[in-house]
Amino acid sequence: MSYRILPKLLKNMLSKPMTVKFPHESIPIPDRYRGEHKYDIDNCISCGLCAKICPNRAIEMIELPKEYKEKYPKTYPKIDLGKCCFCGLCEDICPKDSISLTKNVFLSTFDPSTVIKEPLPTIKGGKEKK
Amino acid sequence: MIEEMEPAPKGTEYDFYFGPAHPGSGNFGVKLKIDGEIVVSARADPGYLHRGFEKLMEYRTPIQNAVLSDRLCILEPLNWNLVHAEAVDELMGIEVPERAKYIRVIMAELSRIQSHIIWYGVFSKGTGFDTGFKMAFGYRDYILDLFELITGGRVYPAGYICPGGVRRDFPDNAKMKILKVLDKMNKMIKLGELENPAMDARSKDVGVLKLKDAIRLGVTGPVLRGSGMNVDVRKEEPYEVYDRLDFEVPVRKKGDAYARYCIGIEEMKQSVKIVKQALEDLPDGDVIETSLKKPKLSYKIPEGEVYVRNEIARGEAAIYMVSNGNSTPYRVKVRGPDFLHMIPVLEHLLKGVQIADVPAVYWSLNICPADMDR
Repeated sequence: MSYRILPKLLKNMLSKPMTVKFPHESIPIPDRYRGEHKYDIDNCISCGLCAKICPNRAIEMIELPKEYKEKYPKTYPKIDLGKCCFCGLCEDICPKDSISLTKNVFLSTFDPSTVIKEPLPTIKGGKEKK
Repeated sequence: MIEEMEPAPKGTEYDFYFGPAHPGSGNFGVKLKIDGEIVVSARADPGYLHRGFEKLMEYRTPIQNAVLSDRLCILEPLNWNLVHAEAVDELMGIEVPERAKYIRVIMAELSRIQSHIIWYGVFSKGTGFDTGFKMAFGYRDYILDLFELITGGRVYPAGYICPGGVRRDFPDNAKMKILKVLDKMNKMIKLGELENPAMDARSKDVGVLKLKDAIRLGVTGPVLRGSGMNVDVRKEEPYEVYDRLDFEVPVRKKGDAYARYCIGIEEMKQSVKIVKQALEDLPDGDVIETSLKKPKLSYKIPEGEVYVRNEIARGEAAIYMVSNGNSTPYRVKVRGPDFLHMIPVLEHLLKGVQIADVPAVYWSLNICPADMDR
């Protein structure tokens, strides 16, 4: 056996691992990270630029259900996270900064209906969430 | 493929599939005809990753195409961003700000380093040196952290290098962090340079590509330099600020898998040198042309055609773009380096090698199935 390996071995034994134990600690995510969208309906002017620039056509401008029509009469973006490629062009083009990408990376789900982000969080598939 | 199989005439001849579901082949297969332990003939089996980029690009505006161009090659999206952005810049006559040019070069070179680290990793894996694979992917993560900090995505920068410049400026601490990562890369290069008898035995005199054959088969990039020809688009036709930077082009004469592996390590060193120089010279100012600061919906691409070529990690990449005056290009032709590396060259090199050397030859070519199928 070659003894040249010993210093390296000792160093490796005493050094910390390259990885972290995930649920207990995690690597900090930088501010620019492009994760889940945050949408502010009260700021939105319904210009539809986000739907037009989206390369994957993941954003669709829809009308809200009847009970919200009085307060929000225009069309608002419905985001399909399944189609989204998280490029952040909608964030860049929005004139009112009402769409922005957050640092939330935990997007995997067992429920397909949660993949679609309605303009108001209380709407789910056109019906109110119970 | 199955119909093509013929019953073996002799007891020693048989067909052997290397991929597409082989852990060491990517989304690409090679059908080998084998006699005993020697490969008699090889037939590439591409098409598992075809996504039709050239057609997709005809329906999208340049900024959307910049996002799309990430996906051309998974292992080096920033380099492909740069080729696409340059093609649009030249077609539209955009003046790119100085700072953006430097940032483009820094990002492209960092992308080249991480791509070469993957090359080192998969080549080690192919030759049975598992430690090299784990080491390489561990060190590559430092660069991915940098990309996450600067572009917002670990692997896909989402068109960070876009027509007119780059989408965002460096954050304040980026310069210091890049220098720290470069120190780590120097460590990785040192580990890669270490003499490894097992790897030498597996790669020396394996898959020898003679210069004459290399030129005949249309080889470019590190593979051609491994065969003894001094070519590099960064030197011949300098784009961005490469003419102001001092770097060398490593060349090896032998043309075997070991020569190509040495080229990879040397090129990483040169890229570290380039990034350091570019960081020192980095000027202040805008990072994107003023009219393109906000992404635009309607472009007016002037009529014309353009052919732009770049040196990416795998070889020579080029984009031929034709416009007829609309806001989307009329035709885009993508010339990737790997189509020629993976079909004619691989078939040529695999003839007559031992079955155990197939992964060594395969991975020494620095290939990417995504770029070949497009």
